[in-house]
Amino acid sequence: MLEVKNLTKKFKSGDTTVVATNDISFTVPDGQFASIVGRSGSGKSTLLSLLGALDSPTSGSIMVGAKDVTKMHDHELISYRGKSIGYVFQNYNLVPSLTALENVALPMEFAKIPKAERITRAKELLEEVGLQTDQMDRKPGRLSGGQQQRVAIARALANKPQLVLADEPTGNLDSATGKMIFDLLHSLSRKEKTTIIVVTHDLDIAGKTDRVFKLDDGKLVQ
Amino acid sequence: MNPVSRGIRNAFRNGVRTTSIVVILGLSIGLSLVMLVAQRAVENKIASVKSSIGNTVTIAPAGFSAGSEANNALTTSELDKVKTIAHVTGLTETLTDRLSTTGSTTASFGRFGGGSSSTNESTTSLTSPITLNTGSNGSSNRFFISGGFGGGLPTNFSLPVSFVGTNTPTQVNGESITLKSGKTINGNAAENDALISSQMASKNNLSVGSTFTAYNATLTVTGIFTSSVQSTQGTVVLSLPALQSLSSQSGDVTSAVATVDSLDNLSNATNAIKSSLGSNADVESAEQQADSTVAPLNSVKTVATYSLVGAIAAGAVIILLTMVMVVRERKKEIGVVKAIGGSNLRIMGEFMIESLTLAVLGAIVGLIIGVVGGQPVTKMLVNNSTTSTTTAQAGPGGGGFAMRATPMGGNGNFAGRVGTGIRRNSAVKGLDNIHAQIGWDLLLDGFGAAVLIAVIGSALAAGMISKVRPSTIMRAE
Repeated sequence: MLEVKNLTKKFKSGDTTVVATNDISFTVPDGQFASIVGRSGSGKSTLLSLLGALDSPTSGSIMVGAKDVTKMHDHELISYRGKSIGYVFQNYNLVPSLTALENVALPMEFAKIPKAERITRAKELLEEVGLQTDQMDRKPGRLSGGQQQRVAIARALANKPQLVLADEPTGNLDSATGKMIFDLLHSLSRKEKTTIIVVTHDLDIAGKTDRVFKLDDGKLVQ
Repeated sequence: MNPVSRGIRNAFRNGVRTTSIVVILGLSIGLSLVMLVAQRAVENKIASVKSSIGNTVTIAPAGFSAGSEANNALTTSELDKVKTIAHVTGLTETLTDRLSTTGSTTASFGRFGGGSSSTNESTTSLTSPITLNTGSNGSSNRFFISGGFGGGLPTNFSLPVSFVGTNTPTQVNGESITLKSGKTINGNAAENDALISSQMASKNNLSVGSTFTAYNATLTVTGIFTSSVQSTQGTVVLSLPALQSLSSQSGDVTSAVATVDSLDNLSNATNAIKSSLGSNADVESAEQQADSTVAPLNSVKTVATYSLVGAIAAGAVIILLTMVMVVRERKKEIGVVKAIGGSNLRIMGEFMIESLTLAVLGAIVGLIIGVVGGQPVTKMLVNNSTTSTTTAQAGPGGGGFAMRATPMGGNGNFAGRVGTGIRRNSAVKGLDNIHAQIGWDLLLDGFGAAVLIAVIGSALAAGMISKVRPSTIMRAE
């Protein structure tokens, strides 16, 4: 269960204070596929980065299971990010110097999973997301956008996280590939019983999720 | 893939940049090594010079200037007081004079520190084996004249012949001579016996028992010696009383060397001699001579030390700027790695390995430069330093012909100075014979410098890494 209470994030921009998220509260049960929609600048990505402990809130709490993410120390946050959260980004954000297989194995290395085990799991995940064997040893620069996003999804699932956060995962893909990636996320959430929260502009995609949160000027309006 | 192999692999992500950095870093580390080699070689040489100093004290007339006609001589009676000073075990006294060859045209040379203030009018039947060469300095027995002659040398020109009177005829101008034939002379007897060099004997067709004239007297060759020192080859050695008598410089002494019983007493004995002779003499111990001798080496050492520090600093700055550039370039990647569970320490470690890889590669290039350049650069530094020093000085120990250029009777003037390595102070001689080598300790130092450069260079990068927030990746989008 993901439980967000009175989450507020303020930024200083010169002399003015920008309220990126304003007193947001919601819950997402385990295994649910939710989406966050809203206009540009409505606070979607900020909310996602707060949920993923990439940034700290000004106030409020984020409970993942029994743990309050906002009260974690640095070393706990590193572990939380590595083991409990999986990220999928619009620009894939793969490490360019590593192969697809190494990219997927990297979070498992940080989680201190033995080498043989992480290689096996990385291969399984890449097969699961539909990457061919000969593509696994390619570096991101030699993969298409769709293939890179598949690798990113496999990496996000590497440590069997409780929560997968996807920020515009189809934003850089053509509609056919985007649909394929969305379907992949959907099926994986079912199979792995992972909670997935997707930030998207695409209302069609949002309509296919279990639950839709709409943000406007940092406030949750739906 | 572990962080080490990832760090090494990251060092080669951009081939052109890696090559450039390695070459520049190699030059920096190479320069560091060359300077380290020079510094060590010079340190060893200084230690060698200092360890080889004798327990002697050199005494010269106050304000002695080679070639000057205004030098005041010391006297035997003054020096007799030195013999009574505690710990002084011996005193070598020397009188030096020069004579023109009979019938030759010789430049007017001032008496070499002699007591007389006038030019000696006496001549000798001997001809100096040392010749002047206006064209090249390749011959070992020739002076090279820098500059030029207004009208060229006269055909009957010859250099003056040096006469050294000494009570210790085993040494001339501080250099040992080796008797080749005949017997040595009694340094304390006023007998007209002489030792001449094999070159002098050959030049003048003399052998043991032959006679020659000097100071309107007939002298007998009792021994022929060999010497590795060029100036000594043009020197005739007489006993001190004989030369004092022949040159009408009774009781005069040009220089003296007192021997002290041990190095421990050298300083006290030197001070006692100074007190005894007062302002009449310049007194310098071998230790002081060694200090002044190694002064140019000390300056080389200083230059090498500063260059070493500068080169290491330059290398560190190169790595520092490179790593800062790399961190800025990979800021987003660092954010991603942090977002998927990478710790600061782990990421810093990778960058440190990357930095170390570049530094080690640079060290390999630098070692090659150091091995190739160590000896020649050290020699060049030492040569430049000692040459400038010896050109500037012509002390009593020089034993050379520090000549005053004077008009040459219508045949032209010396337009330049006369000089060769022969003018070199005997104490300085051999300083440029320096051996620089790279041993294992230097190789380890080189790698140590590389590691130091890598650590210093990546320190700022590490600080920057720790400040990269994982949310950077969100904002970058």
